[in-house]
Amino acid sequence: MPKLVVPNSVTLHNARAFLASNRPFAGRGKTATLQLHPRWAHLDPMALSMIAAWGAWCRRSGFRVTVQNLGRHAHYAARMKLFQHLGVDFDPHIAAREEAGRFLPVTQVANRSALTGVIGDISALLHMDSEPDGLAAVQYCVSELIRNVLEHSGSPDGAFVCAHRYTKKKPHRVTIAVADCGQGVAAHLGRAHPEALADDAIALGLAMRPGVTGAVPGLYGTTDNAGAGLFITRSIAKGTGGYFLFYSGHAAYRLRRTKSAAKQIVLYLDALDEPRRDLWRFEAPWEGTVVVVEIRTDRIADFQGFFQWIRKQMPTRASTTRRIKFT
Amino acid sequence: MDSQTDAHTGVNYAEDQVHVKTKLRLSSGIAGFAEDKDYARKLRQEKILPLLARGGELVLDFSLVKYATQSFVHALIGEALKKYGEPVLERIEFQHCTPQLQSVIELVVDYSLGGFPAHADTQQKAG
Repeated sequence: MPKLVVPNSVTLHNARAFLASNRPFAGRGKTATLQLHPRWAHLDPMALSMIAAWGAWCRRSGFRVTVQNLGRHAHYAARMKLFQHLGVDFDPHIAAREEAGRFLPVTQVANRSALTGVIGDISALLHMDSEPDGLAAVQYCVSELIRNVLEHSGSPDGAFVCAHRYTKKKPHRVTIAVADCGQGVAAHLGRAHPEALADDAIALGLAMRPGVTGAVPGLYGTTDNAGAGLFITRSIAKGTGGYFLFYSGHAAYRLRRTKSAAKQIVLYLDALDEPRRDLWRFEAPWEGTVVVVEIRTDRIADFQGFFQWIRKQMPTRASTTRRIKFT
Repeated sequence: MDSQTDAHTGVNYAEDQVHVKTKLRLSSGIAGFAEDKDYARKLRQEKILPLLARGGELVLDFSLVKYATQSFVHALIGEALKKYGEPVLERIEFQHCTPQLQSVIELVVDYSLGGFPAHADTQQKAG
């Protein structure tokens, strides 16, 4: 039977062990099992969105999801509404504390109107009304990542998004995770870039390049897709010194967090050139795509500066900027 | 469509041809955050491209928008830049843009006209 084993802690920092140890889409039977640690369950948005997407896959594939070791230690996951998405009835009877509620609970986004609702709610849920540029960066990433799922994944369940704003311990940050169990990056890109079908790591590298789309390859992308959304999302994480994780099929890419301003200022157009990256290969695949972005809110006071920074990486066309008529 | 299309804001005469400037006021999106590519596509297909095809001039009024995604701006003007090239910038005016919006528009114009840099072989790096 399909089984997802969750150790006592799953975060962006220790993600590799969780990703490597599971075979969540293998097996037969009538039930699928989510096995929690018996005493502790420290889950971040990455794990929560992945589990919810996997739960939707299980249910649409005819499996009933059961949860092992369900107890009060799973109250955070319950508060993040994870078990509702699994069809598991669990109420740890812990009152919600409003002052700490700086999170977007696990939310299924299956269409564009649901996306509009999520983006509209984020400001209040993450308590970011007084940080307009930080809020715009978060909305930007949520919009681009979910639209990628809706437009390219082919997932019947859409996307599962989850976000948490961490303000008590440094670094102050917002972590956004979007997961789906759709066709995956290689299958999507492979139509236009056959080399993506040979290796999931190649597919991830291509997908993070600006200008590469799964539609028709070309200088400009297509009329509706430039193939720059994931590149800019990665750049926002990099520019604030946050984590970025991209996982599909048998491969995962992670850009590590940095405290050094000097290390975050150099933007590599090709994600595989990044010195602070990990590229992992796993025996069992994730049948879909997971993207996690960490935005350091203490370093994102200047939204426009990010785009000017990104522009500097582009070919110079000195005449263009002068000819844009801003009035 | 929830956009507001304003009437002519200016008329220029050059020889026998009349150039009419048409103003399109973009909707505010989600509290000033514009990300709806479907809306941008519809505006492009129904207003922007037909207008440019007629030789008209365009004013895109962003007074209700503070932020926009690159995808939104690309869906709005990317095809026009591809079709008409750099000279089309003489016929499009971007009005009431915040500095944040300006930087996104400049990025989209840059890569639409200049393309993205070429890359070394991903296959080798992934290996």
